[in-house]
Amino acid sequence: MRRFLSGKGLVGAAIVLIMLLIALLAPLFIPDTFATQMDMRARLSGPTLNHIFGTDQLGRDLFYRVVLGAQTSVMIAGAAVLMSIVIGLPLGIISGYFGGVIDNVLMRLVDTLLSFPALLLALTISAVLGPNLTNTIIAIGIAFTPFLARIIRGEALRVAQMPYVEAARAAGTTDLQMIIRHILPNIMPAIIVQGTISLAFAILAEAGLSFLGLGTQPPDASWGLMIQASRDYLDIAPWTALVPGAAVAITVLGLNMFGDVLRDVLDPRTDP
Amino acid sequence: MTPIVNIEKLRVTFGKGTDAAVKDVSFAINPGETVCVVGESGSGKSVTSLSLMRLVEFGGGTIVDGRMTLQRDDGPIDLAQADGDTMRDIRGDEIGMIFQEPMTSLNPVFTIERQLTDGLRVHRGMTGQAARERALELLRDVRIPEPERRLKQYPHELSGGMRQRVVIAIAMACEPRLLIADEPTTALDVTIQAEILALINRLKRETGMAVMFITHDMAVVAQIADRVVVMYRGDVVEEGPVADIFANPKADYTKALLAAVPRLGEMRGKAAPEPMRLVGDTSAPKPLTPQDHPEPLLEVKNLTTYFPVKGGPLRRHVANVHAVEDVTFTLNKGETLSLVGESGCGKSSCGRSILRLVEPTSGSVIVDRKDILAANHRDLRLLRRQMQMIFQDPFASLNPYMRLSAQVAEPLRNFGLASGSALQDRVAGLFDRVELPRDYMRRFPHELSGGQRQRIAIARALAVSPKLIIADEAVSALDVSVQAQVLNLMMELQADLGLSFLFISHDMAVVERISHHVAVMYLGRIVEIGPRAAIFENPQHSYTKSLMQAVPIADPAKRKLEGDLNFRPIPSPMHPLSYAPAQSLYDTVAAGHLVLRDIERTTDANP
Amino acid sequence: MAYLLNRLLSVLLTLFLISVITFAVTNILPGDVAMMIMGTQSNPEALAGLRESLGLNDPLIVQYGRWIGGLLTGDWGRSLVFKEAIGPLIAQKAVASGVIVVMSMAIALACAIPLGVWAAINRDRWQDSTASTSALIGVSLPDFFWGIMLILLFARYLGWFPSSGFVHPADDFLGAIRHAFLPSLALGLGLMAHLTRMTRSTMIGILGQEFIRVARAKGLAEREVVWSYGLRNAIGPVITVAGLQVGYLFGSIIVVESLFNYTGMGWLTYQALLNRDIPLIQSTVFVIAAVVMLTNLFVDLLYMLIDPRIRMA
Repeated sequence: MRRFLSGKGLVGAAIVLIMLLIALLAPLFIPDTFATQMDMRARLSGPTLNHIFGTDQLGRDLFYRVVLGAQTSVMIAGAAVLMSIVIGLPLGIISGYFGGVIDNVLMRLVDTLLSFPALLLALTISAVLGPNLTNTIIAIGIAFTPFLARIIRGEALRVAQMPYVEAARAAGTTDLQMIIRHILPNIMPAIIVQGTISLAFAILAEAGLSFLGLGTQPPDASWGLMIQASRDYLDIAPWTALVPGAAVAITVLGLNMFGDVLRDVLDPRTDP
Repeated sequence: MTPIVNIEKLRVTFGKGTDAAVKDVSFAINPGETVCVVGESGSGKSVTSLSLMRLVEFGGGTIVDGRMTLQRDDGPIDLAQADGDTMRDIRGDEIGMIFQEPMTSLNPVFTIERQLTDGLRVHRGMTGQAARERALELLRDVRIPEPERRLKQYPHELSGGMRQRVVIAIAMACEPRLLIADEPTTALDVTIQAEILALINRLKRETGMAVMFITHDMAVVAQIADRVVVMYRGDVVEEGPVADIFANPKADYTKALLAAVPRLGEMRGKAAPEPMRLVGDTSAPKPLTPQDHPEPLLEVKNLTTYFPVKGGPLRRHVANVHAVEDVTFTLNKGETLSLVGESGCGKSSCGRSILRLVEPTSGSVIVDRKDILAANHRDLRLLRRQMQMIFQDPFASLNPYMRLSAQVAEPLRNFGLASGSALQDRVAGLFDRVELPRDYMRRFPHELSGGQRQRIAIARALAVSPKLIIADEAVSALDVSVQAQVLNLMMELQADLGLSFLFISHDMAVVERISHHVAVMYLGRIVEIGPRAAIFENPQHSYTKSLMQAVPIADPAKRKLEGDLNFRPIPSPMHPLSYAPAQSLYDTVAAGHLVLRDIERTTDANP
Repeated sequence: MAYLLNRLLSVLLTLFLISVITFAVTNILPGDVAMMIMGTQSNPEALAGLRESLGLNDPLIVQYGRWIGGLLTGDWGRSLVFKEAIGPLIAQKAVASGVIVVMSMAIALACAIPLGVWAAINRDRWQDSTASTSALIGVSLPDFFWGIMLILLFARYLGWFPSSGFVHPADDFLGAIRHAFLPSLALGLGLMAHLTRMTRSTMIGILGQEFIRVARAKGLAEREVVWSYGLRNAIGPVITVAGLQVGYLFGSIIVVESLFNYTGMGWLTYQALLNRDIPLIQSTVFVIAAVVMLTNLFVDLLYMLIDPRIRMA
């Protein structure tokens, strides 16, 4: 617990909490128009009293756009990671706990899928399905699933070989009870740690996809999309890229710090 | 005589605000003598030895007080104050050290030659041919066969015993005047332990070096010590010549330590098992009443378990590990049958096969007239109510995320034997039964000590009122005093509930104390089986004899010499699919005392 | 030898699965190549005719067989966007990507290993905090963000390196390096951060092992203990992770190459995806996955040379 309250853990947790609050609450209190209103006299303006983070090429306020864009980025990342856990968890547990032929077939497939770079897989799926918000979630979710399934399988396999599982089996525990009482609680720490770190990767992936125009599409606003829009104005208005870029970086940093400390506390076996 | 090393008022801490690991330790080591530093876990014995080498700092420790005077050729030096360069000169040259884990003591990516000659290069400036010749000489000194070939090998190509010999050779390279051995035989099988102890004794005699030997095992102390230093929680509680310590211990802690140690041979002429002696209990141990008309409970016939070895891209079945090979025995109601043998002999696999935690290849297992191996999945679950298991590692055998009461209650809930307040009462009763306070019920495993966890494991096994408990090295991981308490609890439960134990162990002295019958296993087979007295007093099979020969006895008058020991390495139990093992055939020595007919020759013919 | 044969069979099986997955993913697309060629407003009869002639009405398994047959015989089809044969197109772009992948990996390994070891031997001191915090920030920044910062700093303000374009090393070696430098750095910084963290944790694990204590007990200098006994054991795991990161690199080149307008495989893949050029998507995705898989095979074999335990097995 003391390590949890170390500087790194506290800063990480604070960043994650603040970003979550912004993502959840900002849309309730800040009207959409703040982010879409165009101030034609102040296009590509640097930080001023009126626009503390400056404005973009259409004169829209970058502060409000970043704050309101948080919802899209965080929501896409969260939903994608959730999706990969929901698919990866049963696959990983079945593979690791029951083993045998199912395990061989599933893991051969997972290994093959891992040969595809996650971003390439996500981009391809998104391009094939047609880029929009829902398909971005699906694309990232599918791209992350093999990785999570592999991790969960390894954990399930490790736990399944523990003496307390054997003792429970000798005590007449059925497979379903075993998974619920013994396997799940003991692989949960690893899933939480991996989920946190995957969340960081998912935010990066969403930004990458949107940056390439194969993720979120206007009028939805996300951080990656803002960076993409800034590309043509880098020379004259670098802050249009720096502001959303910093938002991505700080959120991911917070998640990584939080994940590192979580790992030390919950799951001291695995290496970063 | 000036001591080689004189430790005075040594105090070592790890981090601020923690108790000192070593509080106020003083003792001396004279030239040519073996000093055993003995104590249970947490006594500070290893920290003392690491402090002497000033290696304790690499583990986060700090020497806060005291002096450690080493006699060098040019006069005495205080090691506690020595600088880094001086310490590097001393380490490996004047003081050599060997450690507990031979499997991890050698660098896996360097050859044996490189690791043997490092010290020679640093301290003697020897390289090339000269170093190689010295390395060969060292390997011959520690009796490693084919030394020329070994030099080019990597550590993983050597067995555990060989590696420990190499580690000793490394420590001996520059002929140190002091050898520190930190539990060097704890991780080894008993035959290899005997060889290593005899080797250290001989090297000490031949070179005249002093030895500081750290151990928790009083039997090992008896085998090797000239003088004994007993440590407890960071302090020295007693010190003296080995004969005095064993014959006339003064400190209460030493008495307790000695009392709890079973001595091989002390059960000679006794008909029934006896509880272990405990601290402060001076009354003569009450023997368990022997069974008049034993009824069989567990009948194992021709049990065979192979583990498939898979290979190739399609993970085809390419070979088998013959873990259990044609094993037959009977365990009676209310009795204990011990399976003994060294690591890899198949004793654990045999226990797990009986419970079908691993699937046996063939044979039959009858418990209370029902065939376990013929049962389908559903029947097996019900049959398992008759038999439960206790595992070796007290830290891994409990689910860390489940309350203790829930873990003990789990078998009862699974079989619908109790619910609601009745369940709580049953669980509370089980906690009483294993002598744990009831307020432990709401706790989690990490709040308990190793011995307490083993009690929980026993309570969980008892929950469904089984007739048979398979105890797989159930007390091996415990300190000797705790081990005695847990063993006594098991024997008490046997007397009260008529339980049968299949006791799987490598510890011959414990087995002698608690068993009615004993089966000795080697390479998957039972080589000898019979009543306890027959096996221990009249062993017939050559392997049983060498096992007895190897067991260290907690009596300094009964030491073993290197010449007495000549053990053959155990061959691999892995065989190609085409391998057809010979049947196990036995000769009857006396009623119930069977000895395996010599099939080793046929076994060797099919590598 | 039997091991290598087994590995080879395994590789062929994986390559087959990669091709199946690639084909499957690109065939869930609504619309098909015929529609791409003729446009959505085209005459239905002409469309049907084109479909027939392209074999799009055949069962999927037949189409797959035709595609894989083409891949094996060197006929990779024509790109719809570039109107060129795909095989030579990919061969040409692969050189460009090869340059930045190798350069970024070299930069990353050369910095990460000393930095990680340095952090590990100074564990929990300021050196470790500095290295670890920098590495943590490094892994948290998206590649394109690195790219943008590098363009701003080195290309716009300092003007030391060009910010876009590719030069073939055979034409102008120095020019090729200059053009590849910024994209390589953009790729390499994140990688370096990741490998630094990995090296640090591996070294911490190894420095806690018994054989390190034995080495110290021999009287070896701390320098030799760390850099010889320690690092020699850490190098295997670090190289393995570096190999796995090649997969990550081949994802990142898509972003970085399009940012720097560096015409390599990533850029080509991006053009294919953006224009839904199905034959080109299939080929580029297949080639990238195959290269990633083969790199991992290569790393496994390399590990065998490094670690005697595996060499013998």
